[in-house]
Amino acid sequence: MPSERSYVSYATAAVAVAAIPLSFVGPEGLRLAVIGLLMLAGPGTALVLLLRFDPPRSAQATGALPLSIAIAIAFSLAMSTLVATAMIYARLWSPPAGVCILSILTLAFLGIELKRPKRVLVRAK
Amino acid sequence: MTHDMAASPPVRTPHRHDARLRDGGAKPPTHRNLGLTPTWHVGALAAVAAAALVLGVWSMTQVDPLRIGGAGLIDVLPPAYFVALALSLVGFVASLSLRRLVPALLTWQLLVTAVVLNGADPVIHGLPRLEASFRHLGIADNIAQTGQLDPSLDAYFNWPGFFNLLGMLSGASGAKDLMGIATWAPVGINILMLAPLLALARRLTANPRQAWAAVWIFYLASWIGQDYLSPQAYSFFLLLTLIACLLSVFGGWAWPTERTRLSRWLSRNVSKLDGAVPRQGVMEPPRTDTAVLVVVCGLILLAMTASHQLTPFAVIPILAAMLLTGRLRLRFLPVLAVVLPVGWLLFAASAFLQGHFGQLFGSLGDIGANSFGALSTRVSGSDAHVFVVYTRMAEVALVWILAAVGAFVGYRRKAPWLTAAAGALAPLVLIPLQPYGGELLLRLYLFSLPFAVCLVVLPLMSDKSAGLGMRRAIGLLLMGAVLATSTVVSRYGNDSMESFNNDEIAVVNRLYSMAPTGSILIEAVRNTPWRFQHYADYDYRALVAAEPVPNAAPLTCDAASQIARKAGAYLIVTESQQEAADLRGSTPAGDLQRFVATCATTPGWTKVYENAGGVIFHIEGVSNAK
Repeated sequence: MPSERSYVSYATAAVAVAAIPLSFVGPEGLRLAVIGLLMLAGPGTALVLLLRFDPPRSAQATGALPLSIAIAIAFSLAMSTLVATAMIYARLWSPPAGVCILSILTLAFLGIELKRPKRVLVRAK
Repeated sequence: MTHDMAASPPVRTPHRHDARLRDGGAKPPTHRNLGLTPTWHVGALAAVAAAALVLGVWSMTQVDPLRIGGAGLIDVLPPAYFVALALSLVGFVASLSLRRLVPALLTWQLLVTAVVLNGADPVIHGLPRLEASFRHLGIADNIAQTGQLDPSLDAYFNWPGFFNLLGMLSGASGAKDLMGIATWAPVGINILMLAPLLALARRLTANPRQAWAAVWIFYLASWIGQDYLSPQAYSFFLLLTLIACLLSVFGGWAWPTERTRLSRWLSRNVSKLDGAVPRQGVMEPPRTDTAVLVVVCGLILLAMTASHQLTPFAVIPILAAMLLTGRLRLRFLPVLAVVLPVGWLLFAASAFLQGHFGQLFGSLGDIGANSFGALSTRVSGSDAHVFVVYTRMAEVALVWILAAVGAFVGYRRKAPWLTAAAGALAPLVLIPLQPYGGELLLRLYLFSLPFAVCLVVLPLMSDKSAGLGMRRAIGLLLMGAVLATSTVVSRYGNDSMESFNNDEIAVVNRLYSMAPTGSILIEAVRNTPWRFQHYADYDYRALVAAEPVPNAAPLTCDAASQIARKAGAYLIVTESQQEAADLRGSTPAGDLQRFVATCATTPGWTKVYENAGGVIFHIEGVSNAK
């Protein structure tokens, strides 16, 4: 499990870092794929990793993995929506800046995760 | 070899007459006595699903879209499609019958089912479903380009969250055309929904087997077709995640059950009705993580509020139901769920509120008009369309009857049922409160379906976590087959009017290339795949809505001439407009051909373009008359 978490962390960080330059320049298909992935799952995946939402090995607590995936996607989409909406209402519309904010948020969550104690698992009643 | 964390292995206690002990030693572990599934079984079931996928997609490529008639896709799908569907259903039930579940296999099979059932738009038509998809792309394009909202253009701009999201994607990636995303949206959205559906079902059911079966039934019974690129699909995804998160982490009573007489009464009766409620597994993350999840839930609610006008109001009764059944301990959340959409309506959408006050509150409390009255207007149109409408109503009735039976069985068996029943019924509170008409009933079915399916499968599920048994498996397969077949009829029943072809897109593109900016563009029937660009650049009009009209009057060229009398206009008539008019009964049967033929000879009208997908007329006004 720890190695799986590391791979997901590295992949999320790579997408977040790559999205910053790609939000300004690059081949259209690559930009769409990377920025789309960031908006779909970037900040949420980093958040879920931070929360230590590991699936415990008990029958009662199953459902933690699908819940983690659902929260990762829903939080990412919600944050993308709120950042874009805030820019519109503040009359500061700049899609590349919005993507940079999402990237920084993702990297910040991943940074906090590095500093947290490693074995704090979700308990189930 | 497969191991499932979801189902506990059967516990076997040593007995003094146990044969193994009598023989003087334990047998070496085998697949059979460990309850594991041989790898080749799993491989074979995965291969069956792969075969279903290949066959299903291939069979859809054989469909000739021009042959799709009033009954929709069911008429033209080849037998191979139904073989593929049957393979996917049999494979899933076989996997569900294994002694120990294999989550990866079940996931793969559900994905295959989702693609076979929802892949018609990208595979057969290669274009987005519904004219609304094209409008949604246009709104996102408008926002991406201008960075501003113009609520006077459209009500959508009052709830712009989802379009802002698309606009940011388009603006930051440089992709001006999101048509491909819209085309594949039904498949993508259904795949995305698997995780929240499973997380939710796991909290509403007694065991993982029932949860997987419930999610499967959801896919088979979800015919509403609200899974296109739309704020509704987006908000529904958020709703599912929100409820799953709350039930998983914040379950329990919001107040001490012994504090007052009312709380004691409530707690006692909930326990009496559904003793399984307190035993439902609730996760307990560390305290800081719980606080973070509260914030996450609040942000999800806010994003939903900014994106859709109906879904946040559907969340309120669901949260209230959870609160009253002891499954939500965050007392403030239902209050927040009320404050956010009402506050949004009063402040961010105030322009809409002022302009539509009568429409919003005129039908308040009118249960008849908002339910059966609205429903009866839908039973009209061609005979084939009426058959489709009756199939839809029968499918909804079947699901709700099975859910009611499931609730009763759950009560008798002391299996969890109350939260699912409360969640399924709670959205119905909106019937007297919302002015959505017949459309609302479709949405309510959608909102209640994730809860109802947990009850639908309950009578066919064993209380034991291991195995399903032959009779239950056959029953489940029959139920799945009936629902899947009727979903093919009901979901794709309007396919002739809801899908478009490249000729129609070519007509629309030609219209944009020839009409000067600011021109009046008229569609004969409101069902044109346009506005995906130039959303605010033209004055768009329609002669008639694609709605059922009792004793509909024929269209007259004069109606369009009146609109064009000052500055002239362009009129577009497409194949899908004609299908919509015939299917819904918006005009007398065949009236649109007569309309086109008559108007072509009318003075001042010039046919400027025509192909197999439609025709464009230029109508002279006073300012451009020769």
